[in-house]
Amino acid sequence: MSETPKDLRLWRLPRGRHGLPRELVERSQRERLLAAVVRVSAAKGYEATSVADILEEAGVGRESFYELFADKQDCMMAARRLLIEDLSDAISTAYEGPGPWVDRVREALAATLGWFAADPIAGRVVMLELSALGPISRGIFQEEFDHFTRLLDEGLDGTGPQPEVRRATGLAVGAAFARIYDEVARDRSERLPQMLPELTYEVLVPFLGEAGAREEERRAASSLQP
Amino acid sequence: MRKQGGFETGRSVLEPTLPVDLSARSQRLRIIAAMIESVAEKTYTETTISDIVSRASISRTTFYKRFADKRACFDAALLHCVEALRATARGAIGPGDSPPEAIHNATAATLEFLAAEPGLAQLVMGEAVNVEPTVFGRYRNDLVPQVKAIWEAGGQLPEPHSDPQLAFGRAQVLIFNKIAAGDIAELPELLPEIVYLVLLPFGGHEVALEQSRLAEARGVAGAGGVPG
Repeated sequence: MSETPKDLRLWRLPRGRHGLPRELVERSQRERLLAAVVRVSAAKGYEATSVADILEEAGVGRESFYELFADKQDCMMAARRLLIEDLSDAISTAYEGPGPWVDRVREALAATLGWFAADPIAGRVVMLELSALGPISRGIFQEEFDHFTRLLDEGLDGTGPQPEVRRATGLAVGAAFARIYDEVARDRSERLPQMLPELTYEVLVPFLGEAGAREEERRAASSLQP
Repeated sequence: MRKQGGFETGRSVLEPTLPVDLSARSQRLRIIAAMIESVAEKTYTETTISDIVSRASISRTTFYKRFADKRACFDAALLHCVEALRATARGAIGPGDSPPEAIHNATAATLEFLAAEPGLAQLVMGEAVNVEPTVFGRYRNDLVPQVKAIWEAGGQLPEPHSDPQLAFGRAQVLIFNKIAAGDIAELPELLPEIVYLVLLPFGGHEVALEQSRLAEARGVAGAGGVPG
């Protein structure tokens, strides 16, 4: 458990007296607890994770935990929101770049695959531990799926090619999700970036047809060459 | 039929008992049905053995005679549901269907069956993957050769257009999303997209698009012109 999830980096404060303002200490404690719930859940599963495990991993006291979070679920949901926001930002940044729509889609896909490959622990929790939250997990999945579909829709705004198949952006999000889920579940997150050409084809074929999507697949393959 | 005699019940002939293996079977089915209902209502994680025994009106002892634990019971329920789906899909294929039509019809029947059986839909398409993250891999390993066989029965060698495993994963995500939204009854509306996804790896974009548009036209007609 030495790897640190991206953007949930431990901000270790010296124990004891440090003279920092209370707000800053709390912020740091919150971040450490979020990092801890992600790390412990990735290692032993969210269900088996106890608040005590999180406290031990974070080096934070029980009282501080309950000042910040109502319970384990609250802590996990906060960590999840942070990770999904981070993923969403990474995708947006790539997608909003210059160039034609197909290029921006490829960049957004590359950013998505890269995010999961760069931090397998965070990826594991995002993909595999959602269901352990119980019935609310269904609403969360739906909300996140819609969020990423809207994100893709907004970038299309009439300038890109018009899809021949209904709800093609939803199909695109589904393609990315299905591929990433599979690789994460098999503990092969590091292979994800190599799947860019295949995924580019799958995502673009409803928009461009066979020949156009194959062309983009080749371009994606050559973009992978160093 | 297995032999029915061979055990003494002490009951009157006017009150015939079920043969042992049949009553065991129905008990098993009752437990499976209870598991399906409970999972649909409160997810697998939150389902307890107590939920199952009270829903099935059996004793804890009876439960443990049939299943080693909650997971074994869930696995049996999943198998039961998958078999039912498989039979539905197979039964929907007409003798004169071309491969694209056969795949189209099997897909339509599957979605309609899922819509009519919300508990089963939740379990197979929603909860199974939460219980066992690799379960969709197993479904696909089972389904892909079957769809491939339908395609090849038309005498057309499959020109591999893309990865069929991925296509099934994508179809599952769309279905799961509908289920997560609580819109199980609307699953048949996904037919144009799912038909497209399932045909794409075998027939390519043009063939998949043609069936997808037929599905769309059929859906609009079937729903009395209600916009999707």
